[in-house]
Amino acid sequence: MISTKKFLSTVCALSLGLSSLVACSNESASNTNQTAESGESDAPFKLSIMATLHTPEIPDERLEKLIEEKTNTELDIQWVPDANYIEKLNTAFATGTLPMAVSISAQELGTQFKQAIRDDQFWEIGPYLDEFENLKKLKPTIIENTKVDGKVYAIYQGRPLSRQGFIFRKDWADKLGIATPTNTEEFYEMARAFTEDDPDGNGKDDTIGLSDRSDLIYGAFKTVSSWFGTPNEWGMKDGKLMPEFMFDEYIDTLDFFRDLHENGYINKDFPVTSKKDQQAMFKNGTSGIYVGSIGDVQGLYDDAIKLNPDLEYDVQNKVEGPNGEFGIWSIPGFGSAILFPKSAIKSEEELKKALEFYDHLMTPELANLLLWGIEGEHYEVKDGAALPDASIREKLDREVRPYLSLEVGEPDTNGRYEGLAEYEIKAKAEELIKENENYLINNPVVTLDSETFTKNGERLQTIITDATYQYILGQIDKKGFDDAVKKWREQGGDKVIEEYNASYEKVNN
Amino acid sequence: MNNDLVTVKKSTTVIPETNRRAELWRRIKKNKLIYLMILPGILYFLIYKYLPMYGLIIAFQDYKPYLGISGSEWVGFEHFKRLFSEPDFWMIFGNTLFLFLLQLVIFFPIPIILALMLNEVRNHAFKRTVQTIIYIPHFMSWVIIVSICYVILTLDGGVVNGILESLGFQQINFLLSDEWFRPMYILQVIWREAGWGTIIFLAAIAAVDPQLYEAARMDGANRLQQMIHITLPAIKSVIVVLLILKIGDVLELGFEHIYLLLNSSNRNVAEIFDTYVYTTGLQQGQFSYSTAVGFFKGIVGLVLVMFANWLAKKSGEEGVY
Repeated sequence: MISTKKFLSTVCALSLGLSSLVACSNESASNTNQTAESGESDAPFKLSIMATLHTPEIPDERLEKLIEEKTNTELDIQWVPDANYIEKLNTAFATGTLPMAVSISAQELGTQFKQAIRDDQFWEIGPYLDEFENLKKLKPTIIENTKVDGKVYAIYQGRPLSRQGFIFRKDWADKLGIATPTNTEEFYEMARAFTEDDPDGNGKDDTIGLSDRSDLIYGAFKTVSSWFGTPNEWGMKDGKLMPEFMFDEYIDTLDFFRDLHENGYINKDFPVTSKKDQQAMFKNGTSGIYVGSIGDVQGLYDDAIKLNPDLEYDVQNKVEGPNGEFGIWSIPGFGSAILFPKSAIKSEEELKKALEFYDHLMTPELANLLLWGIEGEHYEVKDGAALPDASIREKLDREVRPYLSLEVGEPDTNGRYEGLAEYEIKAKAEELIKENENYLINNPVVTLDSETFTKNGERLQTIITDATYQYILGQIDKKGFDDAVKKWREQGGDKVIEEYNASYEKVNN
Repeated sequence: MNNDLVTVKKSTTVIPETNRRAELWRRIKKNKLIYLMILPGILYFLIYKYLPMYGLIIAFQDYKPYLGISGSEWVGFEHFKRLFSEPDFWMIFGNTLFLFLLQLVIFFPIPIILALMLNEVRNHAFKRTVQTIIYIPHFMSWVIIVSICYVILTLDGGVVNGILESLGFQQINFLLSDEWFRPMYILQVIWREAGWGTIIFLAAIAAVDPQLYEAARMDGANRLQQMIHITLPAIKSVIVVLLILKIGDVLELGFEHIYLLLNSSNRNVAEIFDTYVYTTGLQQGQFSYSTAVGFFKGIVGLVLVMFANWLAKKSGEEGVY
């Protein structure tokens, strides 16, 4: 009997132990918050952050330590790889384990997190911004784009409005006597010539015009659609907001790509090609054109000249469509924004401390540290701009580059150095990025609201994305595409149109 | 305690409730070490299999993470209604079942055939080498297998299409076609898992009494006849049990594998419940809805297992329960 009791008590003890373990972890979580709250004013403030990691490895802690010292903060940064950031964010949200500051991409902010914000899950920071010397410098036009129901919840991380254009093989173009394309016809001709006229002169049919990847937005498609005059996601048609794929210009772009694909001027498997493979083709002399962010030219060039020292690149942004005009789609001025979950930040006092930290990050000193590293070691200042030490690229990747995702604001507001490009084409690319700002096509629904889109937008988008690829590949015809649009409308698209237009009316009247 | 329990138990079939409980305790006490050994197993199932079932509740709620399970609003069968009225529901359901059938009809027999063939190999060194080689793919992740296939099959410089072209055939777009998705899927499954699957069958074959073979040889049975009349019947029960278990895995078609193969051109044949749950649940944050989908999937699996088990018992086999 005694041993039976013992056995039972062991089981009970074990299960109790388990439940208390769970309890412990809850407790410790709330404890941290308490200490942070009641901490002395000179004790470091504890701040947990979830940030996107764009490099393969978690960064060296050196810069983190420096930031901690300078801001009197104790940081706990969770680095989450870019590829599964959304997943991780959702899981943390679902399990109530969000850290005190999270960065959320512009797109997510407009869809699924909008609801969470409405449900009062994040601190409204608008009223506090003016108390901070640097945060109040953030650009109101961009803050406007982060608003939900007219309130400010996020500190944005600024990005140039449009970096789109294309990079091409200047040496190939010169050899074949092709001038830099300025309209879509010339662009098409260049893709053709790079495929058929043996631009590398090896006598073999081993080149293609354009290499693209499985991304309709940051790959080639959306940029080319801008050249054709397609609106940026939504546009005005007969006084009504309509989605881009209901515009003739979108169909023109589809046909353009279908031709490119049918003739083999673009890599045949582009809908399943990764960015890495796409870039590899462009670097190793398989393809001659790369449409996307023209700022990429530096990295591409650095790698490519190792394979072929004679290679030359050039960049171009202005390509006119059949209507003789140039336009280029823009992002809302920020890549992602930082939000403060109420589940982790319990009091106003704590929120202010967190904001204070970000206010510090907006000083030139810290902004430079985040982006360029330590002066004299990672970069030099030349002509009032930062010149990273190119000979230690791997070290930069490990110690500095990941911290880019902590930056707040943009050079205009946080006072950091712009980058100095030694490679003249990169400098030209930076110029063109600035020039793009005169030709922007904005997304009119960024500040508008559609409940159906918030809830089902991504699933609806899949219908169109699939049909777009299938049309380009020649798997469906115009009728098939129209059917997909019909399907989109029936499954909630009509409601999205209605809601956006109602929201538009409300804002403009 | 009651010393007369043993006799009571032997003499009657109806045991009073209290006595029965006492009898149970007595037996547990007697075999306490054995029970202690099973404890980790029980705990494993409790913690990792039964406890999480608590979360199924959210399938009937409009779950909001910050309100928690206790605070979220109950919506009854709302999410199930949405699932069944989803225009893509039948497509997903059909795809899932079709791939499952492929697994059952094409993949399942292959390890058995392989095991029978390996069993006939008389040269031990050769047998072991073959075994080792066919096991290896099992230890590679799907990412690697799918990437290898991508490199081989792509239109942009893949080997297979290179050969097809040089022989004067049309190139085939394996990766971006809904016709080639299923063959590609099942071949990859076979390549990765067939070798590994032979282990249990080989063990079962090894347990067959050699005297049976000797007797059969005396009677003049050749190798093929021995295989059909001795080996196969001897491992029949193992086959049936594994078949039932396989059916239980119905809807475990390998999320990772299919997600890697899925693209815009083959979605109509490749979207299955797992991928759907992932995109709606984890990527779009619709927790309740995706739980309902997962729940439904589990029920389908349960029904199929029960059916298979019933069928097995009906045909005189043992079944799994």
